[in-house]
Amino acid sequence: MASASAVQATPSPSAASPAPSFTERPWVRRAGALLLLVVLVVAPLVLPQFANETLARVGVFAVAVLGLNVVMGYTGQVSLGQIFFLGLGAYVTAYGVQHDWNVVVVFLLACVVPAVAGLVVALAAARLGGLAIAMVTIALPIVGVPLAKRLGDVTGGSQGISARMGGAPEGSGLYNDQWTLYVVLVIGGIVFLLTRSLVRGKFGRAFAIVKGNEHVASSMGISPYRYKVLAFTIASLIGGVSGFLYMYVIQYTSPETMSFGHSIQLLAAMVIGGAGSIVGSILGGAYYVLVPQLTNEIDASLTALLQGAILLAVLFVLPGGLASLLRAVTRGRRRSGAGNGAAAPSTTPPSTAGSAPAAGEPETERHGHA
Amino acid sequence: MAAELALQDMSLQFGGIKVLQEVSFTVEPGQIFGLVGPNGAGKTSLFNCISGHYRPTSGSVRIDGTQVQGARPATLARHGLARTFQHPALQLHETVLENVLLGAHSRLPGGPLEWSLRLPRTRRAEKELRAEALELLERNGLGWAAHLPADELSHGLHKGVELCRALLMKPELLLLDEPAAGLPHSEVEQLIATVRRLRADDGITVVVVEHHMGLIAALTDRVVVLDHGAKLMEGTAAEAQSDPRVIEAYIGKDAADDVA
Repeated sequence: MASASAVQATPSPSAASPAPSFTERPWVRRAGALLLLVVLVVAPLVLPQFANETLARVGVFAVAVLGLNVVMGYTGQVSLGQIFFLGLGAYVTAYGVQHDWNVVVVFLLACVVPAVAGLVVALAAARLGGLAIAMVTIALPIVGVPLAKRLGDVTGGSQGISARMGGAPEGSGLYNDQWTLYVVLVIGGIVFLLTRSLVRGKFGRAFAIVKGNEHVASSMGISPYRYKVLAFTIASLIGGVSGFLYMYVIQYTSPETMSFGHSIQLLAAMVIGGAGSIVGSILGGAYYVLVPQLTNEIDASLTALLQGAILLAVLFVLPGGLASLLRAVTRGRRRSGAGNGAAAPSTTPPSTAGSAPAAGEPETERHGHA
Repeated sequence: MAAELALQDMSLQFGGIKVLQEVSFTVEPGQIFGLVGPNGAGKTSLFNCISGHYRPTSGSVRIDGTQVQGARPATLARHGLARTFQHPALQLHETVLENVLLGAHSRLPGGPLEWSLRLPRTRRAEKELRAEALELLERNGLGWAAHLPADELSHGLHKGVELCRALLMKPELLLLDEPAAGLPHSEVEQLIATVRRLRADDGITVVVVEHHMGLIAALTDRVVVLDHGAKLMEGTAAEAQSDPRVIEAYIGKDAADDVA
């Protein structure tokens, strides 16, 4: 994690007092970030294969939820089409890999193509404002699925398309699942850090006021239209990155990947994780991957019902999403004055949560160069 | 720096309703100019025409000689125009400092990529403007509240925060929409002192819409009285208060006859 300097420190009531609280001291934050880094480096080495694979999928969807958060959580524009950009990124990646393009070129294309598509859509949709944006974005997955089926030469039609890439390089001493998780952690981590910086400072304030009050925004020299387009484009770009990672981890995509239902699940994951929250995006990704796994274990025929129940339960208890729980806990501790609790890095939960369902899974042969 | 504001025959119509009818006046650079009139006279509509939130049906608005009618508010803001709102619109869950910093938007350099990468240039600019915002709050007696969430402050203090936000834009022309509405007497005094000091220190032009006649009399160099969307008279605040047409517009013809 970027060592958050005091300038960027999250606002808190206690910041007014001369002495910063324990968790706000620079060295504590730095130590927390270092600890998190160590955990992230060590975890893939010690976790079983299934946990690594699950965590990699959590990472993929955490990035997708993060993109949705930029446009919806931070800028307040309802987007129901985020999954389309994940799908687009995945197809671009698959096409590139099948044609043996350089992986860096493939990655850049998987960013640029969805970003340009997002920009074009946003230029038109952001003019409409309000619910009309939601309507236009609904069209994306609805058009995307039949389009992917039709363009069979490129997309493989209804059967989908698979592309193998990213086995652990020889001599790395890693299993494939470990290598894949490292790639997801590095690329996802960079995307999270960059986005985290973006949504603070100048652009974070601009996005927030576009969400809060467009009249005030424009009086401050912030054109609501331009910032909506910007947020949507960034969300599409991040969606493209998640598509690349999706292909890297799952190595197969079909039109079903970008179905409307998945788009809504992504939205539910964002709300449950916490809208307008970086940590919430990670929790949202964990929800997206783990809850269906969990409900399948309980009773496969009740998956949808259980997911709905969990959604309702979270929203009743925590309208601000799971991230607001973490916030409430840290604030409560601050208020009570007991500042001695360690700077528990709030971004760790996926690693502990991911290992839970690992038990009882049938062991498959582990590939790689370990 | 102070800007000159000139309105020429400006009219505004919503369907068949004439909100403003051929209003003309000029505000000299560095003046504190009052806009008064009974409820529904069109004062706030006039403000919205100047700040670009409404598009006048006809006539012209010039800032320092440049025609600006029909320009978007965001464009005008970048040309040195700042305004406050009748009902302060703050980000209530954010701190006072973050709210004020919003005013620095156009003064902060760099695009989204530079801010994502936290390049030194952006961090330095953010640090400088943060210091400037704190100083501005301090000077307006709000330094103690800088790190409090805005929703913990009273309505009167919100107005002060909003003023600081507008001032951080370094405007040349400042529009204040009913700055004294809902303020207790003591805070009105403070407001008068603040606006006077603004003119003295920064020499900016101020246009203020207000019902509070005491504030208008104490503050303004010149006023325009609006009634039913048309200019009734222009002069000093004292002249306006004794003008029979103005008295009539405020309290009705019969009552005005009784007063006379």
